[in-house]
Amino acid sequence: MLFQKRSERLFIWIFFPLMLMMPLFLDGNIFYINKLSSILIFALFVMSLDYLVGRCGLITLGHAMFYGLGGYIFYIIAPQNEAVNFWVYTFYICVISAAIALIVGFLVLRTSGIYMIMITLAIAQMFFYYFSDSMEFGGIDGVFLYLKPETSFLGIKMFDLDNPTHFYYLCLFSLFNTLVFFKVIMASKFGRVVDATRENPERTTALGYNVFVFRLASYVIASALGAYAGYLFSMQYGFVNPSMLSWQTSGTALVMLILGGMGSIYGAILGTFAYEGLHYFFEHLTEHWMLFMGSAIILMVILLKKGIAGYIEKLLEKRS
Amino acid sequence: MSQVMIETEGLCKHWGGLKALDDISLTFADKELHSIVGPNGAGKSTLLNLLCGTYKPTSGRILHKNEPIDSIKPYAFARRGIGRSFQKTNIYPSATCLENCAIAAQRYMGGSFNFLKPRNKEPVLLHIAEEALHKVGLGHRKDTVAAAVSYGEQRQLEIAMVLATSPCVLLLDEPMAGMGHEESALIIELLKQLKKEYCIVLVEHDMDAVFELSDLITVMVNGQHLVTGTVDAVREDPRVKEAYLGQGDEVY
Ligand SMILES: Nc1ncnc2c1ncn2[C@@H]1O[C@H](COP(=O)(O)OP(=O)(O)OP(=O)(O)O)[C@@H](O)[C@H]1O
Ligand SMILES: [Mg+2]
Repeated sequence: MLFQKRSERLFIWIFFPLMLMMPLFLDGNIFYINKLSSILIFALFVMSLDYLVGRCGLITLGHAMFYGLGGYIFYIIAPQNEAVNFWVYTFYICVISAAIALIVGFLVLRTSGIYMIMITLAIAQMFFYYFSDSMEFGGIDGVFLYLKPETSFLGIKMFDLDNPTHFYYLCLFSLFNTLVFFKVIMASKFGRVVDATRENPERTTALGYNVFVFRLASYVIASALGAYAGYLFSMQYGFVNPSMLSWQTSGTALVMLILGGMGSIYGAILGTFAYEGLHYFFEHLTEHWMLFMGSAIILMVILLKKGIAGYIEKLLEKRS
Repeated sequence: MSQVMIETEGLCKHWGGLKALDDISLTFADKELHSIVGPNGAGKSTLLNLLCGTYKPTSGRILHKNEPIDSIKPYAFARRGIGRSFQKTNIYPSATCLENCAIAAQRYMGGSFNFLKPRNKEPVLLHIAEEALHKVGLGHRKDTVAAAVSYGEQRQLEIAMVLATSPCVLLLDEPMAGMGHEESALIIELLKQLKKEYCIVLVEHDMDAVFELSDLITVMVNGQHLVTGTVDAVREDPRVKEAYLGQGDEVY
């Protein structure tokens, strides 16, 4: 079975049906639907980071670079005054960002631990400054994308991206597929070696595996999906700006995944929702929301050692 | 004498000023068990680390089936069939015993870049992994997480993992250390069987086991080669007695 843990199955059976019905509850309230869409998009991004950090043991502070690149690549390759096909451009963006990840990963993965954190950060900052200083990319303000792609596939028009509810469903669909995708590769023979390289790289080398190649493959996969999330984000409000690839974005994603439970993949969704929920709650309570938010996160991380996902697992174990 | 599997020529390994290995030239033949003994810090583990590619020699050459292999990548040693067990238990603690062996077996079974095939749906591979567990007497533990089995059983698992890679050369670093009496006896029986087919290099402190199993024994002291010979020859050699007694280390 793909979803082996009970907590995982429970989560999926509650979360996705609930999210499917959400637009009905919200009754066309566009503000909240858009808000939810952006949370789903970011959850997808956090999920790709969780695969790298939690499953491959590769800690990066530069993952947002691909989030931003997803948007900028779309801006660069899409024609200005013509609606492109969503699926075709999904393919382009994943391939181009995978190619970039291949080169970056080749450099970055020669290091590990704290050095890898520093180098990923440095490379991401290089891209950040490149885009914030380029006039052709609108500098710090970024650029606008005026036309949304159309989504016909084999002649069937699937989503109308100008409609927030349609866009919401596209995000939900993407998130679900990403979750299944990661679960499939984690359960595969490739996933077996990835688990081995995380847990004991020396022994894995001694058994004859080229650890570097498996890490590189994982890095490329996670980066391409991170870029896909950025591509979705840029489409939502029709703009791209350098803050997407700032180190704060990477840092926030890391906090979310620690909150959700590292390595569990579905925990990324929990973490993103918990973080955004706290944010929303404190923001409306006080102007010093950052202070309270920080304290709440520190408390949660200390109390829930394995994140929210780990806590749910423990609860279910006790009951059975 | 049977075919030479591994040969070292003037192998040296220096750690800063320390000569952990100094000019070691040895040959290891197929279908023979060749033991390396010597007091603590003699350089036995260092020798194995060089033979399996974990460290690169400071100077000297290593030949496998007459081809030099000292410049190949560390992972390439295992692909040539040079399997190695570790003195310090080196397993995957959070995986089950069966999974530990399955990781080992998958290397030569192939398909490690298969992103879709579920890892638990390959009977042949799992069968090989299970076989390896049975050989070392761990069959009943296959579904137990490796961290949860006893220290002695982890030592057995360590050997099972090497067997699961289907090697042609076995480099075993103190495989019996930390095992109970029964398990040691089982491993000694197993090694007797294995040496009929494989080239085995055994580093071991348990002298009874060494004398019982070895075709050849090499004694090392302070990184230097002292003597190589048959069990009887080494037992009678005055230099060996002196080396051990002089260091006040282990007396046999
Ligand atoms: N990675 C290393 N860095 C520095 N010195 C090392 C390293 N590995 C081993 N040594 C040194 O090399 C010498 C030989 O060590 P080695 O582990 O090969 O001995 P050994 O014969 O296996 O001893 P034991 O019986 O205790 O296992 C020791 O003095 C050790 O301190
Ligand atoms: Mg040793």
